[in-house]
Amino acid sequence: MSTKTEISRRKLQLEEKGIAEKGSESDEVVIAISPAFGETQTSTIVDIPLANVLRETMAGIEEEGLKSRLVRFIDTADLGNLGNRGAELSGSGISVGIQSKGTALIHQADLLPLSNLELFPQAPLLDREKFRAIGKNAAKYAKGENPSPVTVENDPMARPKYQALAAVLHIKESKSIDESREPVELEAHFE
Amino acid sequence: MSEREEGEVENADTKQHKRSNRFKSLDEKPVNQDGFAKEWPEEGLIAMDSPNDPDPSVTVKEGEIVEMDGKQREDFDFIDFFIADYAINVEKAEEALAIDSVEFAQRLVDINIAREDIIELTTAMTPAKLAEVVNQMNTLEMMMALQKMRARKTPGNQGHCTSVKDHPVQIAADAAEAALRGFDEIETTVGVARYAPFNALAQQLGSQAGRGGVLTQCAVEEATELELGMKGLTTYAETVSVYGTESVFKDGDDTPWSKAFLASGYASRGLKMRFTSGSGSEVNMGQAEGKSMVYLESRCVLVTKGCGVQGLQNGGISCIAIPSAVPSGIRGVLAENLITTMVDLEVASGNDQTFSHSHKRQMARTFPQLVAGTDLIFSGYSTMPNYDDMFAGSNFDSYDYDDYNVVQRDLKVDGGLKPIAEEDAIAVRNTAARAIQVVFRELGFPQITDEEVEAATYGDGSDDMPDRDQAADLKAAEELMEGDITGLDIVEILADHGFDDLAENMLNMLKQRISGDYLHTSAVIDGEFNVTSGVNDRNDYQGPGTGYRMSEERWEEIKDIRHAFDPEEV
Repeated sequence: MSTKTEISRRKLQLEEKGIAEKGSESDEVVIAISPAFGETQTSTIVDIPLANVLRETMAGIEEEGLKSRLVRFIDTADLGNLGNRGAELSGSGISVGIQSKGTALIHQADLLPLSNLELFPQAPLLDREKFRAIGKNAAKYAKGENPSPVTVENDPMARPKYQALAAVLHIKESKSIDESREPVELEAHFE
Repeated sequence: MSEREEGEVENADTKQHKRSNRFKSLDEKPVNQDGFAKEWPEEGLIAMDSPNDPDPSVTVKEGEIVEMDGKQREDFDFIDFFIADYAINVEKAEEALAIDSVEFAQRLVDINIAREDIIELTTAMTPAKLAEVVNQMNTLEMMMALQKMRARKTPGNQGHCTSVKDHPVQIAADAAEAALRGFDEIETTVGVARYAPFNALAQQLGSQAGRGGVLTQCAVEEATELELGMKGLTTYAETVSVYGTESVFKDGDDTPWSKAFLASGYASRGLKMRFTSGSGSEVNMGQAEGKSMVYLESRCVLVTKGCGVQGLQNGGISCIAIPSAVPSGIRGVLAENLITTMVDLEVASGNDQTFSHSHKRQMARTFPQLVAGTDLIFSGYSTMPNYDDMFAGSNFDSYDYDDYNVVQRDLKVDGGLKPIAEEDAIAVRNTAARAIQVVFRELGFPQITDEEVEAATYGDGSDDMPDRDQAADLKAAEELMEGDITGLDIVEILADHGFDDLAENMLNMLKQRISGDYLHTSAVIDGEFNVTSGVNDRNDYQGPGTGYRMSEERWEEIKDIRHAFDPEEV
């Protein structure tokens, strides 16, 4: 099965490749995405197309000479969980987790779900450059390096403007959850 | 795409209409930068009194609640079970539920009825009953009730102390100034999670340089937070979250029982702790089951009570922009503060997070708790500029200190802070910065330069601070977390290097962990290390002439703002 989604004159095609298995290659970083990512939701809370979000994150990983693997979780939209479980599936033990509204983190397999390596909780502040930097840093952790964290942004007025909208986006994303489904391996095609 | 196209058509339309200059001006006002939403009861996007909230009811058989809020015991979810078995005074439950909710709301407001006369009934109510009682009250009535129902007579305040750079010297200096300004408690959190032990250390050391007795916590992942406390780098904990629906609990791999277990971990090690909840968290996670925020919050309050924890921070907290986006939402967060006091818990009453661009709205949201007084009016006033507030910004920050001091003076109300002299602030900031410099040097952590000490002494925020080698700091922070260093080692270093007062204050805070007096409900510690709590400072408000009245000494402090002229010298 594959789905095609219109994203600002570009098509992101996410092709399902079966149930995601635990990887064995230490040079891979899993990008773990949420149930509605690229399906019913096609851009972040500040209207960055999710196609761009993916391309930048993947490019960041590739710049460090590593490979990215794309995995969709359908049984949870919780960022800590999908990031942590993505890391468990990753051959390197490192993942980037991204929700459809754009909230992201870098996770490691042996941490608790609510802990993480780097967290980017304010989705409205994440632009394309940040997603590339996140991919790059994730790859560095995967190589055993100890990178300086991606500069943390803080806008105290992000919550007043966006929190209610973020809640509605998450409620809508949660409607795509199917607790019976295993995580799925995806291949992304950008046209 | 169809939505976007409709939007474009609308924009085209508005271009054709001639606009009112007044409405154009209004559109540019800060309040219209805020996010507002219409109610969506099916998903719980409603502050109070959802059509899906259950009607209150209770049936007790042989000392056990067998039916509650319209549900038979066999249909209970795990929150219902926990509340029914541990949180409600079963003996009084049927009596409390039989009282008409309007009549009970009147008793809450009535100054002739003392707190101690109704607390045995308010602690016997089911979640739906608590929600139904507060639903009857308007904002002013809730303020009256809050003034009477809070556990400790003397109100207090709590601050945030963070840095967008996680800069330890800045955190130490800000903690010192915050302590001097009167905060009973301050809390830090992190930009990068692995900085937690440094932030905790810097904050505790700094706070004790400003005033002995200030309680500190580091809000991070729950197990890490407990470990920091056990190392003696914090003295209380707050970030143990509880939720009003079973599915949100499950998402965090938690149950009320696991939270109770964690709570006992803190208590057994002599650490004060309260839970965290607050309107909007269930909606935020898309799992509100169509119930109102205040009803779900009343379940959180009772889960907290059932865990045997002394207090709760609520009032929206990190999800405040959700209740405040819907009608009656600010009244709703006041209602949840009130419910917390009705259940005989300490309340740290929110006001801690940004929810509005409008200064008028910011003040209006804080007014009820400030005027009524709560155990901790803010559960996080930003003690530095909001751009450094890693709780994503507070409703008030360091730029509002003088506004806050003047409002206390205008209304003769005790908001827990006081004006301070510039030279005193500089002095305590410098002591804290020099002390953390010595501690880092003696522990072999990355060097703190004299330039950093100077910057933190005179600085305003992290923009004034030199950048540090974060990768090196994080490596050392990890060593601190994994090693054997405790608060006692810090005391020794300080004592060996001439910081005698600071060392003694730090040691006294460690001693509190053994005596445990500050585990009582609503406990705070004064500058002489005396514990004030809901036990030895019971709230006896019953109208004018009773309850908390400002002492002459305290009034002198509040009156003494920096810029008042002296008429005799004019």
